[in-house]
Amino acid sequence: MSAHSSTDPKTAVLWDTHDHGHDVISTRTFGFFLYLLSDGMIFATLFAAYGVLSYSHSYAAGPTPASFVHPWYTFLQTVALFLSVLAYGMGMGGLKRGSKSGLLSGLLAAFVLGVVFLGLDIHDMMDLADHGITIMTSGGTSAFIFLTQTHAAHIFFGLVWIAVMILQVMIQGFTTDTVGRLLSLRMFWHMQAIIWVFVYIFVYLWGYMS
Amino acid sequence: MSQGHDNPIHHPEVQMSSSRGYFTGFLISLGLMFLATFLVASGSMPPFGLLMVITICAAITVIAQIYFLLHLDISEHNIWNTVSLVLFIPLFIITIGLTWWMFSQLYLRTMPMMPGMGMH
Amino acid sequence: MLVPLAGGWNPLLGRLALDQIPYNNPILAPLFVVVALGALALIALITYYHKWGYLWKEWLTTVDHKKLGVMYIIIGLVMLFRGFVDGLMIRTQQVWANGPDSSGVFGAVHGYLTPFHFGQVYSAHGLIMILLAATPLLVGFMNIIVPIQVGARDMAYPYLNALGLWITAAGAALIMASLFIGDFSHNGWFGYAPLFEIQYSPGVGVDYWIWTLELLALGTSLGGINIIATIVKMRAPGMSWFKLPIFTWASLSANIIALTSFPALQLALALVASDRYLGSHFFTAGLGGNLMLYTNLFWIWGHPEVYFVILPAFGMMSEIFPVFSEKPLFGYITMVAASFAIAGVSWLVWLHHFFTMGAGPEVNSFFSIATMLVGIPTGVKVFNWAFTMYRGRLTFSAAMLWAIGALFLLLVGGLTGMMLAIPAINYMVHNSVFVVAHFHSMLLVIVYAVFGSVIFWFPKVFGFKLDEYWAKVMFWLFSAGTVGVFVPMYMLGFMGETRRLDYVFNTAWHPYLVAEEIGIFLYCLSVVAFFVLLYVSIRDRVKNQVGQDAWGTSRSLEWLTHSPVPFYNFAVIPHINERDEVAWRRQHGLVQKQPEKYLDIHMPNNTGMALYIGALTFVLAFALTWRIWWLCLGSLVAIIALMIVRSFQGDAGYIIPAAEVERMEKEALAREARIQTGAHPLPAGGRPVPGEAIAYERQDKL
Repeated sequence: MSAHSSTDPKTAVLWDTHDHGHDVISTRTFGFFLYLLSDGMIFATLFAAYGVLSYSHSYAAGPTPASFVHPWYTFLQTVALFLSVLAYGMGMGGLKRGSKSGLLSGLLAAFVLGVVFLGLDIHDMMDLADHGITIMTSGGTSAFIFLTQTHAAHIFFGLVWIAVMILQVMIQGFTTDTVGRLLSLRMFWHMQAIIWVFVYIFVYLWGYMS
Repeated sequence: MSQGHDNPIHHPEVQMSSSRGYFTGFLISLGLMFLATFLVASGSMPPFGLLMVITICAAITVIAQIYFLLHLDISEHNIWNTVSLVLFIPLFIITIGLTWWMFSQLYLRTMPMMPGMGMH
Repeated sequence: MLVPLAGGWNPLLGRLALDQIPYNNPILAPLFVVVALGALALIALITYYHKWGYLWKEWLTTVDHKKLGVMYIIIGLVMLFRGFVDGLMIRTQQVWANGPDSSGVFGAVHGYLTPFHFGQVYSAHGLIMILLAATPLLVGFMNIIVPIQVGARDMAYPYLNALGLWITAAGAALIMASLFIGDFSHNGWFGYAPLFEIQYSPGVGVDYWIWTLELLALGTSLGGINIIATIVKMRAPGMSWFKLPIFTWASLSANIIALTSFPALQLALALVASDRYLGSHFFTAGLGGNLMLYTNLFWIWGHPEVYFVILPAFGMMSEIFPVFSEKPLFGYITMVAASFAIAGVSWLVWLHHFFTMGAGPEVNSFFSIATMLVGIPTGVKVFNWAFTMYRGRLTFSAAMLWAIGALFLLLVGGLTGMMLAIPAINYMVHNSVFVVAHFHSMLLVIVYAVFGSVIFWFPKVFGFKLDEYWAKVMFWLFSAGTVGVFVPMYMLGFMGETRRLDYVFNTAWHPYLVAEEIGIFLYCLSVVAFFVLLYVSIRDRVKNQVGQDAWGTSRSLEWLTHSPVPFYNFAVIPHINERDEVAWRRQHGLVQKQPEKYLDIHMPNNTGMALYIGALTFVLAFALTWRIWWLCLGSLVAIIALMIVRSFQGDAGYIIPAAEVERMEKEALAREARIQTGAHPLPAGGRPVPGEAIAYERQDKL
């Protein structure tokens, strides 16, 4: 154990007498990022399940995504979500300058665009239900609907969170707590865009292709 | 634990956001998604080639978003986020890849498969 | 959208009705009376001694990682006892219901448990032992020890830590509720598709199982994030990665596994819930569902989970061996590498739980080889422990005995695991009690390590040692029980006894079943010895008091602070110079050296919010189980509302002034000095609890 002779006991520093403290904000954002990654694992497992349940026999001779996905309609959802993420980013530009109005207008725009995304998604699901395609139709549609709606549920909770942050920043301004949460929410919202790329390409478009 | 007196706006994670970066990320993502949608909707390519192209589109988009939106790099403030992402990615691939592999083998042995009716 | 139900349902109470209460069950009804009387007696005692305020202020609202850890361990020990009783019931049923001539009582044709009830008992036994005994016990130890070992004042997120505990407690409460309200799943702890679908299991048992697992998965994931962030972000100055104590390394690797694998469980069960509640077809036999998909998703979590519980146990052994061998740990770097190798490989082996699915030779070979690879890092660990003891000055104290026992069991369990890794053998013994004996050997490694750690770290948390004599009595009784139960079980496995038999047809197996019954009787005696151990130790607590270094030969940072650990852990955060900091300081006569000056300490406030949210998650899970929709919605909205309220409140924490810290330290050092001179330092009736001995009475609100 060579490690046992490297420090001189006579001069060694024993106590940290200038308590340097911990960086509260980055400790929080790190933990939240870990949560997001574990959330990503939920999606990975869900994609694995979708992969197993998207063979032709999984649809039990019923409708397949090729017959009910409309690429350009879903592309509109993509545009709405990406714009919402961009708006949030612009809001963070406002935060960087310390501008409350800049941040709030960015958040508000992100909120509205997120609502648009969710509205398009709900409309799509209602439309499918009208055609008799629900989670009960077959293993394949179960996987399709569960996967896309899990993403939509994330968007829903993200919207709740954005609304809370708008209120909180209006009331409390930029404190360590609110800024830390804005940073965590930024990662959450951007992560939803990243996951949407996979959902869009591998569930909607690939499903439409086959 | 005594960062309260500092102005949180000066925190490096706030200061690293860049409107130009967000805009670049947005343009790249939207452009590639448009390309993928167009190719799929027009059906102008053979399925396998199309799948490859849209997979590449997805990969570039995700990398662009991770870089421009999540700001993951190896700077001091982001290193642990990057390390954890790098540790997670193989697990995502393992989860999806091995599951897909074992079930494609299983289906090969147990399911009556007609030609051209494999995984999509 | 909702699936039609077989039984009755009403909007107010969902499926809950009076006939769901098993008041005429000859086993459960008396048990309920005993439990109810016990609870009443406890409430009466707390009221009589006016301890509600103390309980609320010091325990229920605490965010102190040590107290939360102690509560985790209490949950773990209580549930270990419940799981043990389930095991006793299983063994008794099998030895009784053996052969066509065996008698039957209480409505059973053979034995005393009907097949449906027996199914619930073994399902509850498995679930409880893995997720409510092993997991909380290990999470409890990680909670207590890791922040002290890295020199932090608390976890990275103290409030989240409390939330994790109360959600785990809600899961424990839910599975206990299933005893007396409705029934529990009879599908085995891991669940069989499509048996758990609503057509085949129309009762609420499977729903209890789903929501219990979901709560526990949530609680454990939150804890995992907390421990990783604590280790990455909160280390004391000077503590570079390769000066990290070995138990902390083990906790880090284990929690990386927890964080990455528990989502798979959450998802798998969400899909089961979707099948049962919404009528989807993920795991149904028809309409495009795939029942093996469930098994696959479950074991994607299930196998990493096994290593999530074994790695901290390895870490505990790595702490105990050096202290009682008076040598540094042999091969520290390889030990760390082995932990991470095991964590990595744990992600490549899950198919070995269902080799017989028939995925084909390529797939089975891949997973077989990956499984065998686990033996390499584990072997490295075994040799490292052996070389740590080699030529050491060994003390066979009770903690050391438990650790050595764990090492022996690891050999038995590990080698039989290598046998099972070979698909050809696996096909032979699949679903036999050989497999059961194998994984019990492995899980008992954890139990041995945990009991060793209870003895090892008890003085650190409570300030006095457990009685050595009774700890050894317990160890030998427990080990005799282990031999008695599991050696015959390995044999029966080779003879072809399949697992989970409520009726054992082959009378030639009777001697082995009797031997197992004797073994479980010895386990019962060891449980008695444990209670005696607690009684004797608490009675002699003044005599058995210890100073900061309880064993005199300890090595890592937790032994640098007082015993019991003050609520702020360290008066001044130590600066780390060496890997085995305490051993190094002792070697150079620096242990007694105190800091020249004290600083203000910033601590988080207590909060009842975590307890409220935990209670609401119980209500939510209970309402989901019984399909009481208004209550589901209400509790979900309440949980979200409380989270929002909490986010508006925030927590500024409070400051302990440096002068106050100095006063408390003086007190603690005076106590230490009195122990050295043998004077009786405890005031009469003093009860040392973690953080209380020198608790700081704050003037402001609570």
